Amino acid sequence: MKRAFFFALLASGVAAAQTDLVVWHSYRAAEKSAIEKVAASFNASHPGIKVTTLAVPYDAFADKISAAVPRGKGPDIFIYAQDRLGGWIEAGNTVEPIDFFVDDATKARFIPSTMEAMTYRGTVWGLPVNYKVITLIYNKKLVQKPPATTTELVTLAKKLTDKASGRFGLAYWYSDYYYHAALQNAFGGRVFEGNTAKPVLNAPENVKGLELLVSWIDEGILPAEPSTALITALFNGGKAAMIFTGPWFLGEIDPGIDWGLAPLPKVVEAGGKPLRPWMTVEGAFIAAPSKHKDAAYEFVKFLTDLESAKVMALEGRQSPSNKAAYDDPKVANDPVLKAFRTQVEVAVPMPNLPEMTMVWSPATIMMASVAKRTIAPKPALDKAEAEVLKAVSELHRK
Amino acid sequence: MARSRREQELPHGLLHAVLIVATLATIYPVLWVISIAFSGRQTLAIADLPAAPRVVDRLRAVIPWPERWSASNFVSVMTDQPFGRWVLNSVIVAIFTTILGIFLSCTAAYAFSRFKFPGRRAGMMGFLVSQMFPGTLMLIPLYIIMVQVLGLGSTRLGLVIVYATTSIPFSVWMLKGYFDTIPRELEEAAIIEGASAGTIFWRIVLPLAKPAVAITALFSFMTAWNEFILAATFMDKESMYTAPVGLRFFVGGFSQQWGYFAAGSIIVSIPVVLLFLYLQKYLVSGLTAGSVKG
Amino acid sequence: MRGPSHRLRFGAGVALGAVVGVWLAHGMVVQEQRDAATDLEVRKATVTLQALESLLQHGDPREVALGWRAKTPSVTQVRITRGTQLVAPESRRLLREEKPLYDRGQRLATAVQTNLEEGARKAEIEVEWLPGPRLLLAAPYEDKGVVEIETAPLPPPPSTGWLAFVLALLGAVIAFAALALVFGERRVQLSIAAAAVLGLALLALGRWSIAQVEDDRRAGAGALTQRIDEQSALVQSLGGAPGNWDVDEFRKPRPPLAAGAGRLRGALLSADLLALVVLFLAGLGAFSRIGVELRKNRQAYLYIAPAILGMLLLVFYPFTYGITLSFTDSNIYNTSKSIPEVWVGLRNYAEILGQFSFVKRTESGVVFNYLNFYWTLLFTIVWTVCNVALGVSSGLFLALILNTRALALRPLYRVLLILPWALPTYITALIWKGMFHQQFGVINQVLQVFGASAINWFDHPFTSFLAAWTTNAWLSFPFMMVVALGALQSIPADLYEAARVDGASRWQQFRAITLPSLRPALVPAVIISVVWTFNQFNVIFLVTGGDPSGSTEILITQAYKFAFERYRYGYAAAYSTVIFGILLVYGTIQNRLSKATEA
Repeated sequence: MKRAFFFALLASGVAAAQTDLVVWHSYRAAEKSAIEKVAASFNASHPGIKVTTLAVPYDAFADKISAAVPRGKGPDIFIYAQDRLGGWIEAGNTVEPIDFFVDDATKARFIPSTMEAMTYRGTVWGLPVNYKVITLIYNKKLVQKPPATTTELVTLAKKLTDKASGRFGLAYWYSDYYYHAALQNAFGGRVFEGNTAKPVLNAPENVKGLELLVSWIDEGILPAEPSTALITALFNGGKAAMIFTGPWFLGEIDPGIDWGLAPLPKVVEAGGKPLRPWMTVEGAFIAAPSKHKDAAYEFVKFLTDLESAKVMALEGRQSPSNKAAYDDPKVANDPVLKAFRTQVEVAVPMPNLPEMTMVWSPATIMMASVAKRTIAPKPALDKAEAEVLKAVSELHRK
Repeated sequence: MARSRREQELPHGLLHAVLIVATLATIYPVLWVISIAFSGRQTLAIADLPAAPRVVDRLRAVIPWPERWSASNFVSVMTDQPFGRWVLNSVIVAIFTTILGIFLSCTAAYAFSRFKFPGRRAGMMGFLVSQMFPGTLMLIPLYIIMVQVLGLGSTRLGLVIVYATTSIPFSVWMLKGYFDTIPRELEEAAIIEGASAGTIFWRIVLPLAKPAVAITALFSFMTAWNEFILAATFMDKESMYTAPVGLRFFVGGFSQQWGYFAAGSIIVSIPVVLLFLYLQKYLVSGLTAGSVKG
Repeated sequence: MRGPSHRLRFGAGVALGAVVGVWLAHGMVVQEQRDAATDLEVRKATVTLQALESLLQHGDPREVALGWRAKTPSVTQVRITRGTQLVAPESRRLLREEKPLYDRGQRLATAVQTNLEEGARKAEIEVEWLPGPRLLLAAPYEDKGVVEIETAPLPPPPSTGWLAFVLALLGAVIAFAALALVFGERRVQLSIAAAAVLGLALLALGRWSIAQVEDDRRAGAGALTQRIDEQSALVQSLGGAPGNWDVDEFRKPRPPLAAGAGRLRGALLSADLLALVVLFLAGLGAFSRIGVELRKNRQAYLYIAPAILGMLLLVFYPFTYGITLSFTDSNIYNTSKSIPEVWVGLRNYAEILGQFSFVKRTESGVVFNYLNFYWTLLFTIVWTVCNVALGVSSGLFLALILNTRALALRPLYRVLLILPWALPTYITALIWKGMFHQQFGVINQVLQVFGASAINWFDHPFTSFLAAWTTNAWLSFPFMMVVALGALQSIPADLYEAARVDGASRWQQFRAITLPSLRPALVPAVIISVVWTFNQFNVIFLVTGGDPSGSTEILITQAYKFAFERYRYGYAAAYSTVIFGILLVYGTIQNRLSKATEA
């Protein structure tokens, strides 16, 4: 009886005169205007529910969620990339499972890999809003036809490289594991075995990926000590012909540069399989302590439907996870959106296990030392694997 | 008397030479910030060299000078977001932090300097010790106290309390050291004349400690002025954000708009410079102010 | 000044000690009884739930469950689900408001899978308290389903009243009063009498409470056996087979219910000791002295009270939280557990301080292990000493020049020199990092202008350190300069006059007048900046990022990694506490040497 009463109370939250929903996100500028526009049209079409949004700087966002949400002080919905999902689920009382709400028709809306990113240990925890993925961006003045294979890439890059004057055919943040993952995934590499938390950093495929990178470094086509700031400066200075980067970079390109996008090339060394970058999927998650979960799910669904996806794509310049958006003529004819849509077909969702955060530090040290050629790929991977394995087993120890 | 000192002083030319070298070294990175801010671009600068660089090219490359000057970054920073409002919030929070911080630390420091009482050493050490526990794990407990228990989330008062408390330990130690240098004879004379402890403190001790109070003020102000993570975590309304929070929007995650960040940094540093210009008269009164015995 | 008499003091001490001891003992006993009762009820309910589960394999689950429930009075409600379907008490799709049932099914299925892969880590039987108080227990069922039961309202836990405790309190006070009449004002006798009276009263009370608790346990063990027997009979009558149903949350068999009260005994003894401490503090006059001092120095305490209160408010709790956490194995997987459940004592400290693996043998030869605690500690100390030395000397040097009277353009220099302090560190630190870039950084360009070859700054621990050191010195000297400028104003001019009359040289004046006069203001600044530099997270994080190979990490960046990358909160807290301990030792020694806390 009391239980039924409790449920009635819950349900009455939806029926009450006004339900206030708070959404936290970390968008800025055009992306922010787009989500505010979607929220406004939701408010207009849903009398009785009022959505307000709050932008939080990305650097403080995760900490703010971890501090506020479990204490019931947070929002009803927050939009965040899938990389922290597992951690928040395991910590508890942060993310509400929505598996029960999500029917097959809703699931079918999305590019399948983006839905996969929202799934943790067999349960769906959020709906995918946008994805971000690395692709090839090139300077049209220097590159007429973007390379289709890595052989072409290296040949072209060698031609365009003049180290003494600081000109490079290819530039990307190759010493960062996130950027490097495209190479290892091309060979079928992985960080964890299956869906388990067992790290396999030194899998033979990963070794091959790292060896490919080393061969590129030895060709001298890449700048030393890469960083996002350096890559941006090189590309804007017309000193980098081709770069691997994601949509976040587009806002930083100088107006004077004539640039184009192309899919990442196929890897000859991996039998013609394409470079497969990691994808980051921004999901809309319902906060576990929210008092208006039904209304919140209504908004999450609205946020990921076709109309909202079009607003996000055309005004926010984001890549929506909703498949149908790409059939819209305006979206279909947009070279940028089209390029990322093509690239995402071969992208791999970055693992959303909490153990993933333990990978970054050892992987960064490994990548830095391999990039400087102070250690060979295999022993470097073995060393990183040992460290991650130690960290994981210390966490799992009872 | 002062004139006779002049004869002994080092030649001013030499002092100027030293100061100019030090100042150039100091402002060189600042010039890069200015150059990025006015470049109209988002790129952190790099040395830009032609093929086969000559010495002249290298020299040109190290001079912070944008290719073209543009105020567009400043315009975007001020118009894209309610940045002016956030700076105003910061000013309010920083001013009240300064007032509260000075008040709390002056009274405490005076007691530590002038009274002998059990627990004095422990108290002084307590203030110091509070700075020793690393802040990395403090966010959650602070959140629990300020937001959950005291309900001061999304208020300026909450931030003022946290910042003032953060700045107190240094201020107390600094002021206590300075009060110690003020001769007690003055106060003893005042006591004989029947002045109350409050009068002595406000009328005699505090005016003599102006340089230390000025430093304390600057320090408290800076503590509040640059803090980012607590302000971003405690405030749940955009209209309540402070300037550092607003600045971080430009460089979070993957996207790094350094042009905006540099322009915003310059805007944010102007009030600090103004405050320093005002306070520096207390730091330069020469060798007379301290000469209380004369 | 004469305080209260010895008799009065010891009398008050006995009363106070007895109140403390009795109050604590009562709290502990009640808590112990409540824990034992809770544990017993959960065990009984678990047996019941397991019995039902064993039956479900035989026949239609709905009929079996309803039939079983009709004969189990302790259970008021049974629900069985399979995915989105409700199986019992009726067969239909789950309603929207029954989402918690579905979520529970998903959660339990995940728990079973996780435990298969990683050992017992997540509860396979969920326990929830409902108002009443009633218990809800749920276990996984088939494909992402649950079988859950709700119990009838449970009896209130047995609770010992206050009577025995009040008697012990009164007994102690009266006995002492009687003895005090005999002993008069003889201090030694009084103290022995007080301790004996209080100790005996509390010990007797402890014995009695333990006996109570043990009785409860025995009764509980009986009730549990009875429940097992009842359910076994019922299951057999319904066509099933009995099994070992007394299991824990991971569905592992539990040891039989024991009658011991070891934990309570230890806790009671420590409460008794605390009571004795209170007794002697009061008896020997500590409290009355504190009262006298408070009254005597009330002005001083009034002056420091606001600042101290603020500190206590914001520092005391986080501090206690951190230190407590450091004795636990708290991590992302067990945040919901209570402190005693994850208590590991000194294990974290032993692990941190016991790292002696300085070198590692790898295929490519012997490699120094830069992530070793002692390397990081050494690096942190070198980092701190170098930075503070450079910051203080350059700040002081510039302040001395700027303090020259009648030097032109002084305001301009001063303002330009504080700019590093005024700008956000976030951007200036990254500008510095960019200036150290091996190909595009201006520093290497300048080196090349002078014909030197470019340096790969972040390839070697030493050059990497130089880069971070330069950056931090640039960031921190303005603060020291301002402090020194202020401190210089406190030096009376006539001291210099006198020195000059004595014919002292400039250097002698500096040594004999300037430095000693600066000390009171400068020493606090030095101590504080040692503390800050020791924990200077930003510069290391932004400039070197630990490169190469973690050799330029400092302790605080390591602690950060343990907390936020490895999710080991307890270990990170222990790391922070070690940092705190090191700084505390430094602060104490420095304080002794500089006497900064003296008036």
